[in-house]
Amino acid sequence: MLVETKNLTKVFGEVRAVDDLTVAIPEGAIGLVGPNGAGKTTFLRLLLSLLQPTAGTAKVLGRDILDGVPLRERIGYMPEHDCLIPDMTGVGLVAFMGRVSGLDADSAIGRAHDVLQFVGVEEERYRKVAEYSTGMKQKVKLAQSMVHDPQLYIFDEPTTGLDPRGRTEMLDLVRAIASSPGRNVILSSHLLPDVETICKYVVILDGGHQIAAGDLHDLLTGAADRLRIDIRGDHEAFAQRLRETGFEAEAGPTGVHVGRRPGVEAEVFQAARALGAEVRYMGREIRSLEEFFLELVARNEGKGA
Amino acid sequence: MTGVVEAAGISKWYGEVLGLNGFSASFGPGITGLVGPNGAGKSTLFKLLIGQLHPDQGTLRLLGENPWNNVPVKRRLGYCPEHNTLYGWLTGQQFVEALLRLDGMPRSQAEKAAEDALKLVGLSSAAQRPTRTYSRGMRQRAKLAQALAHRPEILILDEPLSGADPLARVQILRTISEFAKAGGHVLMSTHVLYEIERVTNNIVLINNGKAIASGDIRSIRALIDEHPHAVRLETPQPRQLAQALARMDHIVSLEIPEDEALLIRTRKPDAFYRELPAIVADTRLEVRSLESPDDSLDAVFRYLVG
Amino acid sequence: MSISLPTYTRREMPLLGRRHRVRAIITTGLRREFKRPAVLVVIGIGVGVTIITSIVVVLFAGVFLQGQPLDLSFFFTPASNGAILFFVTLMASVVGSALIADDLQSMALTLYLSRPITEGDYLAAKAAILAPMISMIAVFPLVLTPLVAALLGSFSWTIALEAIGLSFLIGSLFTAFYTAATLALSSLTRRKSYAAAGVFALTFGLTIPAEILAGPPFNNPAVLYASPWENYLAVARAAFGATGAPIDWRWSLAILLAATAIAALATYLRMKFVEVVSG
Repeated sequence: MLVETKNLTKVFGEVRAVDDLTVAIPEGAIGLVGPNGAGKTTFLRLLLSLLQPTAGTAKVLGRDILDGVPLRERIGYMPEHDCLIPDMTGVGLVAFMGRVSGLDADSAIGRAHDVLQFVGVEEERYRKVAEYSTGMKQKVKLAQSMVHDPQLYIFDEPTTGLDPRGRTEMLDLVRAIASSPGRNVILSSHLLPDVETICKYVVILDGGHQIAAGDLHDLLTGAADRLRIDIRGDHEAFAQRLRETGFEAEAGPTGVHVGRRPGVEAEVFQAARALGAEVRYMGREIRSLEEFFLELVARNEGKGA
Repeated sequence: MTGVVEAAGISKWYGEVLGLNGFSASFGPGITGLVGPNGAGKSTLFKLLIGQLHPDQGTLRLLGENPWNNVPVKRRLGYCPEHNTLYGWLTGQQFVEALLRLDGMPRSQAEKAAEDALKLVGLSSAAQRPTRTYSRGMRQRAKLAQALAHRPEILILDEPLSGADPLARVQILRTISEFAKAGGHVLMSTHVLYEIERVTNNIVLINNGKAIASGDIRSIRALIDEHPHAVRLETPQPRQLAQALARMDHIVSLEIPEDEALLIRTRKPDAFYRELPAIVADTRLEVRSLESPDDSLDAVFRYLVG
Repeated sequence: MSISLPTYTRREMPLLGRRHRVRAIITTGLRREFKRPAVLVVIGIGVGVTIITSIVVVLFAGVFLQGQPLDLSFFFTPASNGAILFFVTLMASVVGSALIADDLQSMALTLYLSRPITEGDYLAAKAAILAPMISMIAVFPLVLTPLVAALLGSFSWTIALEAIGLSFLIGSLFTAFYTAATLALSSLTRRKSYAAAGVFALTFGLTIPAEILAGPPFNNPAVLYASPWENYLAVARAAFGATGAPIDWRWSLAILLAATAIAALATYLRMKFVEVVSG
């Protein structure tokens, strides 16, 4: 188990930021999502032992969170906010952080260069961090979380402020780390499609509680097996034609949805040919993480939680 | 061609530093996404549009007028800056009201307009709390409320979704869509491309101070000749399907990446989609799924900007 | 910049212990300080002025200090050199005010605390950066003066060695107080300029009014307990056996030690409870 908590609670004054949370998170690439105020940041801070719990227990990588120092030897943290020391060079800062994690001076410099190369910081590493662009700063933040080769990476909104190219690069890096054997990633993000492409398991928090958790694929696969077809042409006529040939079809805003039965795909193309429509997309209808999430939160609010 | 915004040869320098360099584009009605790398000139363009800066070269027209030194046209626009700190001690309601009264609206009218705007963005319940207690998503919505409150014709939004949680994102996009449906125009910039695609197909791609493409995402994609359009088909008979499709002369390459998949690349995606149903229907080959990883803003951006 | 081949190499070596990690913070911190021109200037001038004035006093003892017997109590004079107060304050504000405040401003504190060290380690490291810098002015000249005096033959080695030992102790006491107080001020704010102002206020804001109120026409010597400098002087007087103390050295010692301890504790608690991550 990557993280195990039992009745974990953290109270700030009147606010129960994390409320009686009992979760069991397996190893691998984990997504952590939730609305603002759900307790994600507090939860992560508790895991890092940056905060002490008000009640309850938690274990990360098999170690109690109350024993912070040995735990943090094995965790790399990439915070959401700015946190770099402005007047140090990129390589200087990463090497320094490596030494503060316990690497000896030579290994620290060597590792710093290696990880900076991996994240894509070239000659800029010799310049002061204060002069870096946002994308470069994010990369240095990632590098400092990697330098001591931890078992668990915690990424908090890693793509903030990055332009599209920077986002792709950052997500590729996160994915490369997540797929590295023996390494685990907890990705906390508001961008649910990002979480969807990288994580296998997702934990959804709201109001300090866990409202859903599980394998992403299992959570999202609809019970009924359906196809979604995106055509250029008259959606309604298309759906009608499919119904006439005996399939249940309905036209919606994102295309035509049809119950999957043998022979439906061939019928789709026949119908397209007959109507002069173009089939632009045909695939299994899987709910997106976002739809699932919004539904879940709405239901949770309805319960008056 | 009367675009809502018309820019012709706009250049703006900050000393030596590039803002815009010969930027020419015309964005029409509806929602337009402004996309580009950091430092491409997006903020400069926004500041020129709201009349905060004056171009060094070229002409700019917003709703048919020059925005520089132009108070009446500013009444017709609503602006959301990227900057995220509001006046922390004011409540949401006070914040929007204060800005409306700066606009010249009388007090009672301002109060009602502010309430309505906050309701539109889903902040009614939080309207009486000071904005320093707001989360990022709520602040973005508060900014959007002040931009909408005076019923502008055009919204100019700089990264309106940045830092917002999933609920706020959906709400903000919904508000923008409804504004556009009611006849308003929107120009918004964001780095998260799949979110723009959700609300519009019109984009302007900006890089290095110039507009490198503008219009419908799909037409732009179709024009990018050097990168043939890729389509992936899942079929248990990839070789037979490949043979059948090879007839189309606009197909550049056929690849079998896995046992039951065929990846084709075509120079003319429209023609491909038009001809495909007939071929599949005639040969009776089984095609289980069809998708194009290329049909996205992300792909367009990657090909044009790199 | 593209990522072509993500080379992700693994680390096989074990990690060094906490002492090494703290030492890394200290050496990196000291190295960064010594690169700053302001620091080098303060060291240069501060140490220079304090040493030169003290040695001049030794050389011309007969001229400057008539009636002062040349025994242990003589060494109270260099210890009470006002330049020490001035340059220690300057050093504390130039080096110390930014030590924690900058980490709060840049939020680098998150990075430090997410490392396998404790808040106590972090503070100890910061103190170990500041204390040597301050002691260059508060201890070094004081220890050097009796040595020079003995070498010049003005004093016997017995007295000189005793003076060296005592100078080291009281200089360290003064250093400890200023280190703790400066770090406490630095931990309270994100702006190092405020912390620096606080250090100056601590020194002059307390000392000058206290000295005014202690003398005529107010004549209230008890006020001197409020001034760190006056407390230090009282302890120094007692240590060197000089006479004429307006206040009791036992109380002064107690006050300085208590203030140091309270400042250190307050800083530690502040570190534990500061909101490290925003939003």
